[in-house]
Amino acid sequence: MKTLEKFPTGIAGLDEVLIGGIPKGRSVLVTGETGTGKTVLLNEFIYRGITLFNQNAVFVTFEEKPQDINLNVAIFGWNFATLIKSHKLAFVDVTASKEMLTEIGSEFDVSPLVERIRYAVKKVKAQRVAIDNINALFARFANKDSVRRVLYLIEEALKEMDVTSMISMEVRRDKSNESFYGIEEFVMDGVIELELRQGQQQLIRNLFVRKLRGTSFRSGYVEFEIADHGFIVYPKIPAHLISKKTSFKIRKSTGIRKLDEITGGGVPQGHNILISGNTGTGKTTLGMQFIREGIERGESGIYVCLEEPVLQVEKTAMGHGWDFGKYEKEGKLKFITTSLIDVSNDKLLYQIVNAVNAIGAKRLVFDSISSLMSGTMNEEQVRQFLLQMTAFLKSRGITSYFNYLSAGNFGAAKGQLLGAFETSAMRLSSVTDGIILLLYVERGQKIKKMLTVLKLRGSVHDKDIYQYEICKGGINLGEKFED
Amino acid sequence: MAARTKKYILKMYVMGQSSYTQVLIKELKNIFPPDFTDYEIKIIDVLKNPDLAEEDRILATPTVIKEYPLPVRKVMGDLSDKEKVLVGLGLFFDGPEGGQEAR
Repeated sequence: MKTLEKFPTGIAGLDEVLIGGIPKGRSVLVTGETGTGKTVLLNEFIYRGITLFNQNAVFVTFEEKPQDINLNVAIFGWNFATLIKSHKLAFVDVTASKEMLTEIGSEFDVSPLVERIRYAVKKVKAQRVAIDNINALFARFANKDSVRRVLYLIEEALKEMDVTSMISMEVRRDKSNESFYGIEEFVMDGVIELELRQGQQQLIRNLFVRKLRGTSFRSGYVEFEIADHGFIVYPKIPAHLISKKTSFKIRKSTGIRKLDEITGGGVPQGHNILISGNTGTGKTTLGMQFIREGIERGESGIYVCLEEPVLQVEKTAMGHGWDFGKYEKEGKLKFITTSLIDVSNDKLLYQIVNAVNAIGAKRLVFDSISSLMSGTMNEEQVRQFLLQMTAFLKSRGITSYFNYLSAGNFGAAKGQLLGAFETSAMRLSSVTDGIILLLYVERGQKIKKMLTVLKLRGSVHDKDIYQYEICKGGINLGEKFED
Repeated sequence: MAARTKKYILKMYVMGQSSYTQVLIKELKNIFPPDFTDYEIKIIDVLKNPDLAEEDRILATPTVIKEYPLPVRKVMGDLSDKEKVLVGLGLFFDGPEGGQEAR
């Protein structure tokens, strides 16, 4: 099959979903219920075209008056009035006129509307056209055949002028009107559906590419947001595009000399290690130490901070004498945070990918997996997320720690040190390359902390249990624990 | 409107100059009584003046706009239906003495 040339929309994340963009010189239908963001998407399609690619544009508006659109897009920081003045943008105003208009019969020639679009396209030498929205045509023309005819003529004209277009159409929840309009056969070289659904605390926006004629695209629902500067689509990371880059020969120091020794030289590059332990066992400290060691060795790091506020992490680090704020300013460290209610896999991954790309990170600490579970993700979703994230991290050769709160390890009696290692953690074990266990052990009147490397894929490691303490300057790994 | 010399000023948008256009002009003139001449009709071809079509937001042809007297009224479609055109444009002609504006 001959693949059509792609035309990047310039909208954040959308071109990744569309694998490069929409088909050049074709029309894509954007459908959705009212309030799903169709108009914003079309406005942004126009705006990005002009500002990113120097592609002038025509906006055909049926519902909102041009001056209202100018006001609406100003909140995203887009200045349409200036673009009009500099002849980069032209409106075709098809909103209802204030004068009374009487239709007589159903025999009229609908080509004037097409001529107006044609004229506007020529006037600004447009390469992009947006039409928002065609439902209004039905309000404008009583006769359905006239609507079909005008759509057909518009399509023909757009193709002939070789412009790439997005056309919006409002659908009802039951989608009953879609076939009723009967426009699919001519308008649709592609269909992008926008949806809005209720999450636990907020509305969640989904985007779905239903069809993209003659080209490839990623199927399935992806989340998007309408943020301060427009659309952000969070594309899924396709697992099949990922090649693994791990090396057992290259070891990454944990920042703790003794732990490096136990693991046979540090964590193998590209490995992900599950750090499992009860509250207060020092998972965060271990992670901070790992990140700090990397940065001191010239490897930037990402700290996914879901357990506590970033400021608190920075304060704790400072307590150990590590200036994380400075690392951040120097572009060696990036924190990622997100709300744990209605946490979105796609968004979190997108944030991680962007952060990695931004600073070329080589290390990552995810603190913690258990906070995802205590949020609104179920165990299976967390596992899926981990699979996607680890696949991405491996593709970049990034070595990572995933912290995991394992509540059952407290007070393990003699001979039961591993007995309480939770089954959910064991399920995660298949996703991870290694497990370091941190545990509390009661000895006499004291509670001691113990560390053991439970698993380290592809590596010979010390299987003993070591006592440790958390001191200023990090974890101090001590003697082997002997019963 | 400086040089307004007629009682009624109409604009008609058409597509191209064809024999059909001539039919439309004839139909439009036909809405006035046969002996009444106090009107002006401007014919605008969308193909030649798409800018004017944009200004007047023309959707389809033929579209007739009564520019004067106010209020501006538009009629789109079948001009052979004389009564509907007159009502749509807000014009009434009672008896042989001429026109009467719509209220």
